[in-house]
Amino acid sequence: MRTILQAENLEKVYRIGKVDVPALRGVSLDVQEGEFLAIMGPSGCGKSTMLHLLGGLLTPTSGRILIDDEDLTAASDAKRTDIRRRKIGFVFQRFNLFPTLTAEGNLRLAERIHSNGADDPERRREVLRLLRLEDKMHHKPLELSGGEQQRVALARAVVTRPAIILADEPTGNLDSENSAIVLNMFQELNFRFHQTIVMITHNPEAAQMCRRIVQMRDGQIVEPAASVVQM
Amino acid sequence: MDNLIAANIRQRPVRSLVSVAGVALGVALVMLFTGLSRGMSNDLQRRSQNVRAEIIFTRPGAMELTSSTANLSTKYVDRLKAVEGVAEALPVIRYISQNNRGFGFELLDGVDWAPFAAMNDIHLVEGRAPEAADEVIIDESKKRNSNLTVGSTLSLFGDKPYRVTGVYAPESGARVKMSLRAMQEALESPGKCQYILVKCKDGYEEKTVARNIEASRDTTGNKIQLTREVFTSIEKSIPYLGIFLRVLVGLAALVSALVVMLAMYTTITERTREIGILKAMGASRGYIIGVIEKEAIVISALGLVVGFAVALSGGYLISRAYGLVFEYGWRWALVSALIGLLGGALGALYPAIRAANLDAVSALSYE
Repeated sequence: MRTILQAENLEKVYRIGKVDVPALRGVSLDVQEGEFLAIMGPSGCGKSTMLHLLGGLLTPTSGRILIDDEDLTAASDAKRTDIRRRKIGFVFQRFNLFPTLTAEGNLRLAERIHSNGADDPERRREVLRLLRLEDKMHHKPLELSGGEQQRVALARAVVTRPAIILADEPTGNLDSENSAIVLNMFQELNFRFHQTIVMITHNPEAAQMCRRIVQMRDGQIVEPAASVVQM
Repeated sequence: MDNLIAANIRQRPVRSLVSVAGVALGVALVMLFTGLSRGMSNDLQRRSQNVRAEIIFTRPGAMELTSSTANLSTKYVDRLKAVEGVAEALPVIRYISQNNRGFGFELLDGVDWAPFAAMNDIHLVEGRAPEAADEVIIDESKKRNSNLTVGSTLSLFGDKPYRVTGVYAPESGARVKMSLRAMQEALESPGKCQYILVKCKDGYEEKTVARNIEASRDTTGNKIQLTREVFTSIEKSIPYLGIFLRVLVGLAALVSALVVMLAMYTTITERTREIGILKAMGASRGYIIGVIEKEAIVISALGLVVGFAVALSGGYLISRAYGLVFEYGWRWALVSALIGLLGGALGALYPAIRAANLDAVSALSYE
């Protein structure tokens, strides 16, 4: 199996006033193609920083990140944006949908950004069908439940066929029933389409649905647990 | 609605309306001011072109067309008639008074109607010529714009009532005319006029006649001008009008740009999180600038349409109410359109660049 994401000795130090605050202290991580990985740990352990680095939203103080053989850390800001556009799909805790656009409009926007204006209605319908959102495609986010909004966010992330999905606490704003539905969708995407997913979560039950769990504490990986397959 | 730009414009109607109004204000101001300037200039020029006399004889230092000073003796009329090549000499007093509606001004001519009409090929279409000291005649535009008819009363020289005895056409010089004697009485200037219109005999060139007048001992020391040089475009004859219009256009552009900039700047602040999402989705700086610029251009285009509508309807209403003439030209319409669109696009540029430079992680966590 191919390594699709490789992080080598990542360090990230924030400068707050005159004080250096280390957020990551030499984190290394390999993610294989088709893997569903959970990163767990207490608040402030560096999980979100890690995810933002892997997604090219932040640059590390030192270390290297390779995504699908492209070096994210050596790239310029424009090149990082381009890699993110082509290779990465984000899912956030707060859904982060465009409130003025319908579910389909949110997907179309992602497609247009991804393909410089082109869109693929067939792919859009396929993804909406897969996430059981066909009857919601003309609804705006505020007309949808939290679970439905997060499914639209997931659909938006996968519609452009990214190499990897980075999910930041995707069930953090959902009740247990909707959490289960969304996690099942993640699992289905991973199982049926071999979609690589890296998910940050506080929730041990959510983490248990992943094939592998990585524990972080104080900016370091402390427990790369054995793969857990729950399909 | 699946178009982000259209959705954003509809989502924030007050902001969109204020921006549209800002652009419309700039466009309407340019259109109204240039339309008024052009309209009044062309109107005056049209009326002036119907003055068939080739030469204007006046006192040195008298202001062209605008002086209300009757400081030229009418004794020059006979002296001018004696000059070789002069067919007719006609004394005129042009008086400028405040418009009765409190906006703009009114021109009155004091002339002897019969020789004036014969010289300039104008005729009465209704009523009769003014005879008594409290009688006037008006042209058809004045009749239409001021809702006057033969028999109506017109207040001139303050509140002094004058009765309309006739309507003439085509328009020529001031829209209201009274007899020279009545004007002299009103101004307490018996035996005086402001200028004398000189008509050349057939076969005589105006320059030759002007030289003859200049050479005559009886008329020496006065100012002799060719009519066609006096009645050039007002835009050209008022030296700072062009500069004033350009300054106005610049200010209008500034107003449009500032309104759009403030509106877009506010929008960017409101939409910080959305910009973070766009960045997370891989939108380039160019894409983000493009989205904001397109939105500003759509708003500016709407402002342009509203601005043109306001200018056209405003001009019509002002024209109906005050008799001012508006004439819109393609050149200034194009300038207005460019001001609206460029002002909007440039005004949005700074907020757009600022948005494109936002830190994605900070933007995503923006509340």
